[in-house]
Amino acid sequence: MALLEVSDLRTSFHTRGGVVRAVDGVSFTLDKGETLGIVGESGSGKSVTCYSLMKLIPEPPGRIESGTAFFDGQDLLQMSPKQLRKIRGNRISMIFQDPMTSLNPYLRISTQLIEALRIHTNIDKKAALKKAIEALEEVGIPGAAQRVNQYPHEFSGGMRQRVMIAMALITEPDLLIADEPTTALDVTVQAQILDIIKERQNRLGTAVILVTHDLGVVAGTCDKVNVMYGGKLMESGTAEQVFYNAIHPYTRSLQKTIPSLQAKGENLYTIAGLPPDVSKPIHGCAFYPRCPYPKTGAPEGDRPQLVDAGDGHCFADCRFCDSSAPIETVLPQKDAGDLAGEELA
Amino acid sequence: MSDFLVLDDLKTHFDLGNKAFSRQSKGVVKAVDGISLTVQEGEILGLVGESGCGKSTLGRTILQLIKPTSGRVILEGRELNALPEKELRKARIDFQMIFQDPYASLNPRMTVMDTLGEAVRTRHPELKGEALRARIAELMRTVGMNPAQMRRYPHEFSGGQRQRVAIARALAPEPKLIIADEPVSALDVSIQSQILNLLKDLTRKMGLTMIFISHDLSVVRYIADRIAVMYLGKIIELGSAEDIVDDPLHIYTRALMSAIPRPDPRLERSRSRIVLEGDPPSPMNPPSGCNFWPRSPVQHDDYMKSHEPVFEEIVPGHYAANCPFCLQKQS
Repeated sequence: MALLEVSDLRTSFHTRGGVVRAVDGVSFTLDKGETLGIVGESGSGKSVTCYSLMKLIPEPPGRIESGTAFFDGQDLLQMSPKQLRKIRGNRISMIFQDPMTSLNPYLRISTQLIEALRIHTNIDKKAALKKAIEALEEVGIPGAAQRVNQYPHEFSGGMRQRVMIAMALITEPDLLIADEPTTALDVTVQAQILDIIKERQNRLGTAVILVTHDLGVVAGTCDKVNVMYGGKLMESGTAEQVFYNAIHPYTRSLQKTIPSLQAKGENLYTIAGLPPDVSKPIHGCAFYPRCPYPKTGAPEGDRPQLVDAGDGHCFADCRFCDSSAPIETVLPQKDAGDLAGEELA
Repeated sequence: MSDFLVLDDLKTHFDLGNKAFSRQSKGVVKAVDGISLTVQEGEILGLVGESGCGKSTLGRTILQLIKPTSGRVILEGRELNALPEKELRKARIDFQMIFQDPYASLNPRMTVMDTLGEAVRTRHPELKGEALRARIAELMRTVGMNPAQMRRYPHEFSGGQRQRVAIARALAPEPKLIIADEPVSALDVSIQSQILNLLKDLTRKMGLTMIFISHDLSVVRYIADRIAVMYLGKIIELGSAEDIVDDPLHIYTRALMSAIPRPDPRLERSRSRIVLEGDPPSPMNPPSGCNFWPRSPVQHDDYMKSHEPVFEEIVPGHYAANCPFCLQKQS
């Protein structure tokens, strides 16, 4: 049985400007020890998916409309706050993007590190502190015995993120949710942090959900990939399937926009227009207005469902464009700015 | 071709002041520490480095937004740092800046027309009414926006559109030099490529000179003619974009290149990376000698700690800090 089984998760925010369907029917599974990458642009619903699993959505205005999320046989979304508290920080931990705002500036690192241990296990303070120092050493903080008594502002950004990882893993959770853990860091430090997460994961057998907008990070760390757009999955499968045999036009376009893959001198490939506004109803395919493929019909009806192309490689089966055409033939496009202007005008 | 912009041993140090109730100094941050560089007209120079390496401070020092501690900035034969405030204001029309965060760099109470109009009138104070509007509309079309949106406020635009407004504002006074400080870092990948294309096309078409500051080598590689790599306030490698990316000399540049995650799972799993230890050291207390030694993954000894490397031409057109340990080739 899978460790985590999410099906048809829907989360929306009821604002004065209308209902924002941030997550609109997302299903996926995750096995023990596996790493799942969730990729997408800002506003695609990747963070909200994770927050929904932990029930960290502020209600109101947010509401988890439907869906189930079975974690080790229990539905996280139906749990009482008391049951959830037993799981959060113990069996499921989370790392956030900005390590400065997620550490308490008033408390010593030691206090923050042992808090989870003291709450979830019957461990005395001395033993907990010893474990905290060990945890810091494991994530590569030199002089851990002294540094454990320092405050967050005495650490650099990369070091703070190490502290966050140590804190998240100190209870040896079954699932670690990392929401853009390296976006605020330099590339050299990012490489270190990703290595630490991988190494700790191998040791503890933790399953990881890694939320990121960087396809490179996903390629290096993830077994499975979910591509999100406008609150829905556009494509999902193993890293190999999604990177080498992408089916959905959005995944293909996204891959083509990465600057490092393009020949110098040529213009960069761009996706025209803007990501969809999920506060308005979307008919047919959310990517339709930006899709570079020849259109075969007007988008109508419900948004396309995920279908299996074989071997668990799923994609949103949109029938409004001819995605069998090679993407090179659809270039060059209309100037991106003009399209964006028309949409707004 | 004459040298368009010359930096001569430029230093920008920040004095942190004295400790409370004492005359003891808290120290000096050497954000820019002896940079000499020439930029040719029409060139795009990429400035790369980790956070805290002084790349933004260098950009601001060139524009005299921060006064240098010592050294000279010479733009077309004029020594900017020696100009009195009044003349500097006039000279500023010739150089403009694009900032990272378009949410913060545009005035929320000014419409696009106000923002751009003000910038246009720094060059052409006589323009008003219909002529001014025509010029603004032309600018908006240049950056791929719809002139019908002239009367909108910044909050009505998306991040990418706002960055277009910021670019239009920088172009409005018809500058010769643009310094772009991380102009695409706050944008999504799909929008990032739109803005990069726009910047590249515009500089080529208008013959602008640009200094493009970024932490992302893959972005800089695409846009720049030459790349300068900064570390702790100094330039440690300088060369054509192809040389820096395909054949880097300094181990730091090689480490930066290898740290960029490639969107290719099989390659990512098999390739070996040069992993640097720790964080960049503090520019308040930089290491002695070759300042890279505390993080260097190669063998080093006391020689490296005591000898400051000379920045010189190693291969024609390709300069690097000549430290024997940092430059040794690894197979």
